[in-house]
Amino acid sequence: MAVSVPVPVGEKVADDLMDRMIPLVENLPVGPPADTNAAMGPVITRQSLDRITSLLQSGLDQGAKLLVDGRGVKVPGHENGFFIGASLFDHVTPEMDIYKEEIFGPVLSTVRVTDYEAAIKLVHGNPYANGVAIFTRDGDAARDFVNRIEVGMVGVNVPIPVPVGYHSFGGWKKSIFGSHHIYGPDTIHFYTRLKAVTSRWPAGIKAGAEYNFPMMS
Amino acid sequence: MSNIIGNHVAGSRLSQTGGSLQDVFNPSTGDVSGQVRLSSAAELDDVVKVASEAAPGWGATPPMKRAQVMFRFKRLLEENADKIASAISSEHGKTHQDALGEVSRGLEAVDFSCGIPHLLKGTFSEQAATSIDVYSIPQALGVVAGITPFNFPAMVPLWMIPNALACGNAFILKPSERDPSVTLILADLLKEAGLPDGVFNVVQGDKVVVDAILDNPDIMAVSFVGSTPVAEYIYTRGAANGKRVQALGGAKNHMIIMPDADMEQVVDALMGAGTALPESVAWLFPYLCRLEKKLRMI
Repeated sequence: MAVSVPVPVGEKVADDLMDRMIPLVENLPVGPPADTNAAMGPVITRQSLDRITSLLQSGLDQGAKLLVDGRGVKVPGHENGFFIGASLFDHVTPEMDIYKEEIFGPVLSTVRVTDYEAAIKLVHGNPYANGVAIFTRDGDAARDFVNRIEVGMVGVNVPIPVPVGYHSFGGWKKSIFGSHHIYGPDTIHFYTRLKAVTSRWPAGIKAGAEYNFPMMS
Repeated sequence: MSNIIGNHVAGSRLSQTGGSLQDVFNPSTGDVSGQVRLSSAAELDDVVKVASEAAPGWGATPPMKRAQVMFRFKRLLEENADKIASAISSEHGKTHQDALGEVSRGLEAVDFSCGIPHLLKGTFSEQAATSIDVYSIPQALGVVAGITPFNFPAMVPLWMIPNALACGNAFILKPSERDPSVTLILADLLKEAGLPDGVFNVVQGDKVVVDAILDNPDIMAVSFVGSTPVAEYIYTRGAANGKRVQALGGAKNHMIIMPDADMEQVVDALMGAGTALPESVAWLFPYLCRLEKKLRMI
């Protein structure tokens, strides 16, 4: 679970965000696990690398603006490793494959929206509904968002709202099949079945047993 | 190739001779680091028999004793975190720090399972009618299975295993064939923690084993995390066979940035959650660490 679609509300925020992000994404250090300076390792297989590369190309072909291109990143001494640098797209639209597909790679696909309601509409139009986040200083907007958004896990000024272990993890819509989320309280229900017992006991020993030595009254 | 990654059944690693082998890579170098032996449907069915024999005894073990196994498992995971993280990194490729973060988030579910006596208390209605009491008791299902993805080869299994076991079930895990080794370490640590043999088993394999799990009548429930098309397939086939299924699928997580947002916080969050930690490749831990450091400084 991670954020893959930044949704800046308004052109000013979007421009500001891209200006700040470009140098950071460009300079994100990539390397093997042994390199303690690396912020990111390789992807898992050659096929995975090829898939990400071709999705990046599809984004370009379909008209998104590739502000940082992570293809062709070389890690000295690891020329055959499955490395790819981080990439940043701007002006992505919901019809594009980079928006529709789960990329499984270090790619941010920025979708600009004009206002808050358009942001909600965008999220609701996506078949997945695992996690979502809102960044704001406005409690009213945050509260309305938490209340209305149709997503299983919501972050308020927290990008990846993976719940702590005593709550449960799970999305809505096409992000889950079945009625139970994973770990936490939900998992106890999932891994047990309830037996409901109705019990009645006849009057018994407490009325007095007849083991006393018979006495004359 | 000497590194053959096999199954863990009835408390020991199996060095089977049959079955096809599939290469496992070190993604940092592109080299083949081992080969995973893909099990057959018949092998899965045999493991279900082993688990079925172990399940009743484990289910009858007092919850407090099951919790004690989980407490020991927790300690062993903490002591072996570095070793587990290295195993994750060598087959998955994520940084050591991210791998440690993965272990730490998996540990939370182990922590939770240590409270199982409280969680299994059930409910009681005294005097539902004259002289009649009604109560509900949660009981183990029997044999349950987990099918887990490559992106978090330790954490997602740990989201399932501790609570399934603490509830009194026997568990069969089919990890991703792309990074299968780390689950064998988990199996060793569970054994060391005192879990009886046969209660936890690892079966390596591909779709053949997945289908065998979904079709085996003695598996009562299946947990899955992966992509949406596979989640839907697993749910549909498992449910058609009368099983409980929880199948978690894909994600496309949006982050709404309002005009009044703290842009420094936004950028920090995106760099942590979006790029350094791409969609299901790595994530949260470095971000939280940085956040924690910042909060401590205040």
